[in-house]
Amino acid sequence: MADHEASKINHDNHLLLDQPLLRLPYELLRKNFRSAHFTVEKESTTLNKLLKETAKGSLDGKTSPEDVVKNLDTMIAKMRGMKRKLSTYANKETRLYKQLDARVAHLHELSDMHSVEDVKYEAWSRKRLDRLLVDYMLRHGYNTSAQALANEREMHDLVDVETFLTMSKIRESLENGSVTEALAWCNDNKKELRKLQSNLEFLLRCQQYIELLRINTPSKSVEAITHAKKYIAPFQEQYPDEVREMAALLAHRPTDKNLPPKYATWYSPDRWTKLATCFVEAHNKLLGLPTFPLLHTALSSGLSALKTPACHGTQKTTSSSQPGHSQTSMTSTVCPICSIELNELAKNVPYAHHSKSHLDNDLLLLPNGRVYGQAKLDEYAAKAGLPEGQVKDLVTGEVYSRTALKKVFA
Amino acid sequence: MTAQTTAMEALQKELDRLNRAPGLSATEDRVDKIIEMLTSVKDQIVQSGMDTHVASMSITKIQNPIKSTFDKINDDLKGVTATQRKLGKTLDKHFPLKDLPSTHDAMADQESLINRAISMHLLREGQFSVASTFIEETGDAATLENVNAVVEGQDQVSASDNYDDEPMDEDRDDDDDDDEDDDDDDDEDEYMSPLEGAATGLGFRQLQNLSSLQSHELEAKFSQMYTILQDIKSRNLLSAIEWARSNSGELEARGSNLEFELSRLQYVWLFKGPRVNGLPDNELNGTAGALLYAQQNFWRFGNRYIGEIQQLANAQIYARNLSESPYRHIFSTETAFADVASSFTREFCSLLGLSAESPLYVAVTAGALALPLLIKYQQATRAKGTEWTTTNELAFETPLPERMLYHSIFVCPVSKEQTTEQNPPMMIPCGHVLAKETLQRLLKGTRFKCPYCPAEGLEKDARRIMI
Repeated sequence: MADHEASKINHDNHLLLDQPLLRLPYELLRKNFRSAHFTVEKESTTLNKLLKETAKGSLDGKTSPEDVVKNLDTMIAKMRGMKRKLSTYANKETRLYKQLDARVAHLHELSDMHSVEDVKYEAWSRKRLDRLLVDYMLRHGYNTSAQALANEREMHDLVDVETFLTMSKIRESLENGSVTEALAWCNDNKKELRKLQSNLEFLLRCQQYIELLRINTPSKSVEAITHAKKYIAPFQEQYPDEVREMAALLAHRPTDKNLPPKYATWYSPDRWTKLATCFVEAHNKLLGLPTFPLLHTALSSGLSALKTPACHGTQKTTSSSQPGHSQTSMTSTVCPICSIELNELAKNVPYAHHSKSHLDNDLLLLPNGRVYGQAKLDEYAAKAGLPEGQVKDLVTGEVYSRTALKKVFA
Repeated sequence: MTAQTTAMEALQKELDRLNRAPGLSATEDRVDKIIEMLTSVKDQIVQSGMDTHVASMSITKIQNPIKSTFDKINDDLKGVTATQRKLGKTLDKHFPLKDLPSTHDAMADQESLINRAISMHLLREGQFSVASTFIEETGDAATLENVNAVVEGQDQVSASDNYDDEPMDEDRDDDDDDDEDDDDDDDEDEYMSPLEGAATGLGFRQLQNLSSLQSHELEAKFSQMYTILQDIKSRNLLSAIEWARSNSGELEARGSNLEFELSRLQYVWLFKGPRVNGLPDNELNGTAGALLYAQQNFWRFGNRYIGEIQQLANAQIYARNLSESPYRHIFSTETAFADVASSFTREFCSLLGLSAESPLYVAVTAGALALPLLIKYQQATRAKGTEWTTTNELAFETPLPERMLYHSIFVCPVSKEQTTEQNPPMMIPCGHVLAKETLQRLLKGTRFKCPYCPAEGLEKDARRIMI
């Protein structure tokens, strides 16, 4: 039966909205590991070197026992520091394992369900909606709400509040004109950013340079040149045009009269917004997150799938139940697209494609041009307490004799 | 076994392996060892009185053990990374990152509309504190005002239909039984008390936010609905019955049985007696109490439910062995309270002009079903080199389960197109239906022949129908 098919859950592709759910903790795990590994590498190399030197010096008589002890203290302190760092990484790792467990368990629940009519599916789908809502809130910076919702539903392991909060902080700092946090982030993720061929770091360095030039004093200009030599020149091969423009900026200051537009854009304050966007893009790409909030994706396909030409029509059709006084219990399941909440939103999405009609059985035409199934008319007439030979229009309330009805074959 | 189940199982297996294998925490122990070794050497030297010989000997001696411990740490790390990488491979294999449709985001500029939809969804779900936080954070109060304007419009209409002019009794406080004097429109004052009295865990700050928002009308409505639902949940139908009574005009116009459904359940509930319903054992309870209730209340229903009322009265005879009676199905209350709760929710929302189920929820669930088809279509067209341009209609089918089909759809069997307002369904005298454009194409002058039956007709005999 067509409906049975439509209700079946296709496990192979039902989880498209949930891909980032598993990916993100995995990416964070790897990142965490890399940091731990780097720490160990660095500290162990330093320690081994110091140890060797101290031993040699002691044997040669060049290093006194007091100095040996001093070096040992240094080494112990270093190791203690390394242990603390490792402890942090280990804790993070454990948390991420827990998250992965919770998420896999959540997705696994789906394998026991086979139809969207399944009672358990509704609960699962609501959980998914909550997840999408938290994701949406985080991406738009509504952090308090996101945390409130996550707390309310106790779904911390299923959402990535921390990641987005950090991202939010850096994005805000960029919007407020500071590159420090963003540069630190670039540093942490150097290798991956290089793999992605991201120009973020380059743009950040350019912005620092621009800010120095903006001050327009001789000393700052010198600083700017030093900065450019150190941080911008290395990008000459990669971004030759931009580097050239940076050099040209020395001769064009924001207070100049008739500043050519292409230099004006470099000095414009909305470069900060552009930087923020660039950062967010790089961040999302790095962690395998989709460009748009998942809610958008789900909504645009959902709204289309539900929408019919009638949803934005001017006629109060029989089957659409727009809010109205003359509503009946039987036509009361309001179409989501017709609802106040979504009607405006769905205006610009295409409506669903149907190749088969979907109508009541035994259609009857009322003299006012409206068509209803016989069963509906009978039920409503009974509820309205009408005498035998009469029916009532479910929408307009007009009463007609049964003899005035015509059979419709559609 | 579907591909999905094997995927999930493979993933689970890798995850189990990950959990069993030593993680980063194992390295901490090794670092402890190193600290131990260094400390002991230091102690040795100090205890020897800073003896040069002891110093050089002891420090040389620990070089190798320390080095080998570091090597062991590296091995540990190698193990961790290998296990984690395996997990990654499993992810790549079974959950490859598919490109979600990213070229065209229809929702991109609709932030405030989406926010409003979310606010209302949260209110519907009874998440009042999250809703209030969200409304504040998004600065959404203004847009909710508009919603309230529509909702209030509904309210005016329903208010004028009430011939039973009892005010909606929102108050559940014990000391506030005489709320008869309160005005229907005085929602502001009535609104504060249930929440204050019930102390539903809303912080005082949020309470202030709620009342300071211009848009608290909507929350007031939902809050009322939730208060009544809580009552129903605890088997107390009185507030629901009160509400149904004060809206009986509107409910009747809709052909709704809610008031009777509630009264009948109350009768049944009392009938079951104090042992089942936990109410005090007096003349208001038990079969006698039920009868009293019926006498006091069923007159309202006139002749409409005479059959059902008869059954309820007859059941008195079978009071002792109800399970053997022909009426036992009426008296089984397992799902009755849940059923009446959902009927109530549906009617309450409908009277506000809102659907019973959250539209946002339905839309997202439908979206999850339609998305794979969208992606498949996109991949196919991309391969062919064409692009999915946004026309008015999707280019592929997105079948949804029956309950998500809210409108009648007519697809003209000849043109295979859906009928719209510009191209409406037309019925011709023989009773068959065609799209208007199809009909016009069939016209030979002013006459046409029905594609289904031998009947012929004139253009003017075709009439537009509304499905």
